[in-house]
Amino acid sequence: MSSAPATLVGTPSARRTPSRRRSAIGWTAARTAAVAIGALFLMAPFVIMVTTSFEPNTALLPNPPHFLPQNPTIANYVDAWTGSDFAQYFVNSAYVSVLTTLAAVAISAMTAFAFARFDFPGKNVVYAVLLAGLMIPGIVIIVPQFILAKSLGMLDSLNGLVFFYTAGQIAFTTFMLRAFFERVPTELDEAMTVDGAGTWRKFVRLYLPLARPALATAAVFAFLGAWDEYVWALTVISDASKRTLPLGIAAFQGEHSTAWGLVFAASTIAVIPVVAVYIAGQRHLIAGITAGAVK
Amino acid sequence: MKRSLVLPTIALAALTGLAACGVGAGSSQSAPSGNELSPSASVSGEITFWHAYSAGGGEINALEKTIIPNFEKLHPGVKVHDVQVPSSDMHQKLITATAGGALPDVVRADIVTVPELAKLGVLAPLSDVMPDFQSWAAKMFPGPLATNKYKDKYWGLPLDTNTRVVIYNQDALTSQGVSQVPKSLDDLKAAASKVGGGKFIFAEGGSGAWNLLPFIWSNGGEMTDPSVSKATGYLNSPQTVDAIQMLVDMYRAKQIPGNILGGSGDTPTSDGLAKGLYDTIVDGPWTFPGLTASYPSFKPATEPMFSGSAGSISVVGGEDIVMTQQSKNKALAAEFVRYMLSPDAQQAMGKVGQLSAEPALAADMASYAPYYAPYLEQLKTARPRPATPQWAKVDDIFTKQVQLAFQGKVTVQQALDSAASQIDPLLAQG
Repeated sequence: MSSAPATLVGTPSARRTPSRRRSAIGWTAARTAAVAIGALFLMAPFVIMVTTSFEPNTALLPNPPHFLPQNPTIANYVDAWTGSDFAQYFVNSAYVSVLTTLAAVAISAMTAFAFARFDFPGKNVVYAVLLAGLMIPGIVIIVPQFILAKSLGMLDSLNGLVFFYTAGQIAFTTFMLRAFFERVPTELDEAMTVDGAGTWRKFVRLYLPLARPALATAAVFAFLGAWDEYVWALTVISDASKRTLPLGIAAFQGEHSTAWGLVFAASTIAVIPVVAVYIAGQRHLIAGITAGAVK
Repeated sequence: MKRSLVLPTIALAALTGLAACGVGAGSSQSAPSGNELSPSASVSGEITFWHAYSAGGGEINALEKTIIPNFEKLHPGVKVHDVQVPSSDMHQKLITATAGGALPDVVRADIVTVPELAKLGVLAPLSDVMPDFQSWAAKMFPGPLATNKYKDKYWGLPLDTNTRVVIYNQDALTSQGVSQVPKSLDDLKAAASKVGGGKFIFAEGGSGAWNLLPFIWSNGGEMTDPSVSKATGYLNSPQTVDAIQMLVDMYRAKQIPGNILGGSGDTPTSDGLAKGLYDTIVDGPWTFPGLTASYPSFKPATEPMFSGSAGSISVVGGEDIVMTQQSKNKALAAEFVRYMLSPDAQQAMGKVGQLSAEPALAADMASYAPYYAPYLEQLKTARPRPATPQWAKVDDIFTKQVQLAFQGKVTVQQALDSAASQIDPLLAQG
């Protein structure tokens, strides 16, 4: 990222006349305005969600939508939190998401390291099979997966969710981390070998510290994937005490009418950890996403 | 809509494979003899009940705080586990659980899904396994009861019902020079030309069978033959074409807003009605609590569905209660079905917006929720959508073809000819 301005300094385009400089400023302003307008569009649904959550609960959505709450109240938050086992759903979601994140990142890091630094028979075939998993929409395999979960005794189980969520995340995080590990200079690896370091020591002391941005990115993806997941949880969880947040929120939606105030209050509560995880991982996230892009 | 079509296809494919392995529904359980399920039999054990009652509208409270505890008190030692599943996802969860052999004992199923579930072997035929079935069936409105019939058996009983009537804004009509609400399809057409200036005589929220069948039936049209075996000659009959043509003409003359195409760009029908933007809509009893909460000063009025040459015929909605073939405790399941249809349970649900399908109980409900009254009247002639396991696909084809006609890409006759020829082979599968 930081190298882009440096290359501009030496190019002819960097030596600008005042009129060119003015047009450059105008261009920057136009771009900023365009991005700001885009950001406003992206923010609008979020703002409407938060605003509606602070308005008295109704079955009809305000139309046109309000951007500032009218007759503000926190009743929806109180009702959403106390009217159902929402605290329990929150704990369930946190349990499933944290364990999935830890498991997915740990397994993917080791798998990706093996693919990046070792040659073994059938390596490309195994890797292709792993990636093929990314290309099959989850809904297509939901029935066989359900039968598998049943035979493993993983229906109606939070640990069962962790197992399947982790399995679902591994392909993508391995793909991402492999690209990162391959960029680690082999000279560093060889230097540690000369110093007598074994494979495990190199993995822990060299590869993992260098891959911190990629690991953070993988962790954010794994966490969000588990936190937001709905269809699989809906399919395997029946016991109300084991619901995750997306299932809890969906319960506020009726066939013909929906308690929008409650839905939006619950959604706002559910979004807070997501925003927290994103802010915590933001610096690494951008570095991690671009890292694998160019070799 | 897409998801609801993809899933059954996948599930059917999976089921076909599974059936060979003996995992399919009903392979391990045979229906007990009728005596075991008679009302006098003592019951024990546990059952699971899946439903889509809403947590926001007080329905879950009525079920979990009143109905189930009362049932458990009546039958000491029994336990009912209820599982709330969002209505839009119930079908998917049922299909997956069928394949995995993990179905509940009793389900509150949308009326249009019952034939499909029966065909898949998911359900126990109540008309065979409940010795007192006839006495329950005799109490129900005929329309809702008919939604349980597939291949000469009844697979469930109507748990709650609804239909659609005309809801109108008298002030809006008056201000536009229409003194009296249109009562017939001809009145509607005549009044439409008087309304303009960004206002509309009528708004409809979609172009599916649920939305348009009341117009087709009231005009003397049909979607299929009485045995639901073919659409050609019915869906493309002159009466059906006329009914859709009237709506298409009104839409193209900008007398109906764009909601009828199912998009979300226009003011929603209930909002538009309360704001005086739309003079009339056709909708169900759930419209009233929402309108009262959001527009306390607006007083909606009702009329029966616009009548045509065949009278005023609306469409039946609601849910049926069904028992699964996989249930390991059918005696308790049958007893729970009876209790859910009893006055105690029906009245508890009536108070939170679930209209009983038993006319005697429904009449009681109209006394404490007056907005039910016009629906009770309409239910006397309301009809169920054609009962076929292929309903989701049939409705999808109908909707897509009718939308092409609304968009002016084909004529109404071409659209319905095409829909009928696509629907015929589906109905032939039975």
